[in-house]
Amino acid sequence: MSALISSSLQQRSVIYLILLSALVLSCIWGLKIGAIAISPQVLANTLFNLDGPQQKYILLTSRAPRIVLALLTGGALAIAGSLIQAVIRNPLASPKVVGINSGAAFATCLMIALFPTMTLTNIPVVATLGGALAATIVLLGAHWRGLSPVRLALVGVAVGMLFDSGVDFYLVANTSPEKAAPMMWLTGSLWSRTWSHVEAVWLPIVLLSGLAFSLSYQLDILRLGDETAIGLGQRPALMRFIALLTATVLASISVGVVGVLGFVGLMAPHMATRLVGGQTRHMLPCAMLVGMLLVVLADCVGRALAPPIEVSAGVLTALFGAPFFIVLMLKSDRETTG
Amino acid sequence: MTIRLANIRAGYENFALQNINLHIETGSFTCLIGPNGCGKSTLLKTIGRILKAQSGQIEVAGLDILASSSKEVARKIAFLPQNPAVPAAITVEQLVGYGRAPYQGLFGFASQEDREKVAEAITQTGLEALKDRRLSELSGGQRQRAFIAMALAQDTPYIMLDEPTSFLDLKYQYETLELLAKLHAKGRTCIVVLHDIAQAARYASDLVVMKEGQIFAKGKPEEVISPQMLTAVYGIRACVYADPVSNSPVVSPLPQLAVDGTRSNTSAPKAGLLAAE
Repeated sequence: MSALISSSLQQRSVIYLILLSALVLSCIWGLKIGAIAISPQVLANTLFNLDGPQQKYILLTSRAPRIVLALLTGGALAIAGSLIQAVIRNPLASPKVVGINSGAAFATCLMIALFPTMTLTNIPVVATLGGALAATIVLLGAHWRGLSPVRLALVGVAVGMLFDSGVDFYLVANTSPEKAAPMMWLTGSLWSRTWSHVEAVWLPIVLLSGLAFSLSYQLDILRLGDETAIGLGQRPALMRFIALLTATVLASISVGVVGVLGFVGLMAPHMATRLVGGQTRHMLPCAMLVGMLLVVLADCVGRALAPPIEVSAGVLTALFGAPFFIVLMLKSDRETTG
Repeated sequence: MTIRLANIRAGYENFALQNINLHIETGSFTCLIGPNGCGKSTLLKTIGRILKAQSGQIEVAGLDILASSSKEVARKIAFLPQNPAVPAAITVEQLVGYGRAPYQGLFGFASQEDREKVAEAITQTGLEALKDRRLSELSGGQRQRAFIAMALAQDTPYIMLDEPTSFLDLKYQYETLELLAKLHAKGRTCIVVLHDIAQAARYASDLVVMKEGQIFAKGKPEEVISPQMLTAVYGIRACVYADPVSNSPVVSPLPQLAVDGTRSNTSAPKAGLLAAE
């Protein structure tokens, strides 16, 4: 365990280099694989504008945007998870705990039930509203008579369950193919995402991520607990509000555009903490890279398993995330006590 | 350069400090004592403005605490809560560095002075060898020292600790108290909530005894700790004698048969009880 822990500048640089290389390689892999296999040579020719229209179409219109989207949402989820863990001070905290995933999913189902003619491209907007609504209910509930992290988590789980039961009801009540369309979206898929999806989300994700990075040091102070933070001259209530709002919008946007990618917001901060230590200014960029890597890889593996059938990225992140998380928890007993 | 409280009202919904007037001398080692729920921690947090007083005035070294910004307060008073949250996977040096937050901007860039103060705090608490270790790898006593180092790096004339010994083994309790005594000797004013009367009596220059949200007594340990006070505040019959090592007052409870409830301060202390000295 301690072999993984490193805090010197050189060690951190090596880790960042490895992560970046892995990310570039998996992006290239992501361009290559799919229902139509494209050889590395053709890939290179196409990227440098030397080859035929079909490959070019597949690469630039189908695969490139989904990889960009995987990078954006993976990074956004990881940053959202890091922010929420800093605020709730609980290793099990994640966007899901604040009810975001469930709220976004429920809003989508409701939209399809009420306006069946609406196109799927409206899903991101509606999901973001739903996620924000759920998070607002949770935060208001948790702030009632002064915020406590424990109450935040409990209210979050309760509100999440409420919205989840709404989703379940919708899925049981609607079995026709077109009404069951959100099923695919709910499992967290990057299938058939286009540049228009990227255009809709890149700016808010980049801006909010920048905000999160600028708050790194304040998040460290916040993690010392309210009384210590006040004693150090911070206003923890304000900082918590900004951090939670940022996390909510980041996670809601991701859920809105690619559905529920379970465990990314939970795993990435933990893995980053293991790799470069817990100080946010080191941990947050690392978490972002890990989140990107996880989603890009999940998408690639989902396409590579049995083309032309795709396994949703969300299924894979959950499949690998759950056992990984259990192992992390078992190993981290010393880190989380005291 | 003193701490002055006038007509302070503060507290939570179901508990409040009423009309507190208090004067704490600079350079003192003041301990706040009293039974559970007497308001000693609330008073400490109110002085440090962790908890905002509802009315009254608090002046710390000429600064009107209730009208100042959090950062201004944080440059006068360092406050350590009873059981601070320990963030995962941060090192001792990183923790001590957070003590410089009141002097830094949003991003926490460390100046040369910040680095010097951090190094000094680490040296004063004897943590040089442990500075790159993670907090989670330390013993309870070492971790407490790291938090005290963070408070030292804050470079404030006043340092406040809320029950710094309560989660520690006996050895580390005294290690912590000795460290505080050392800092006090070097000129810091220490204001500490302690549960253990003997420890408070031994290390404090001044005691503030609290009962039900009021200040019951204030003075030197040997003036304040008496059988009468113990009966009135703690509801116990006890004799008080001088510690053979430090000559500070020590409490030894007597069989409690004669005590009738909590308000027996007029009748209980009688013959058979010895006073200090």
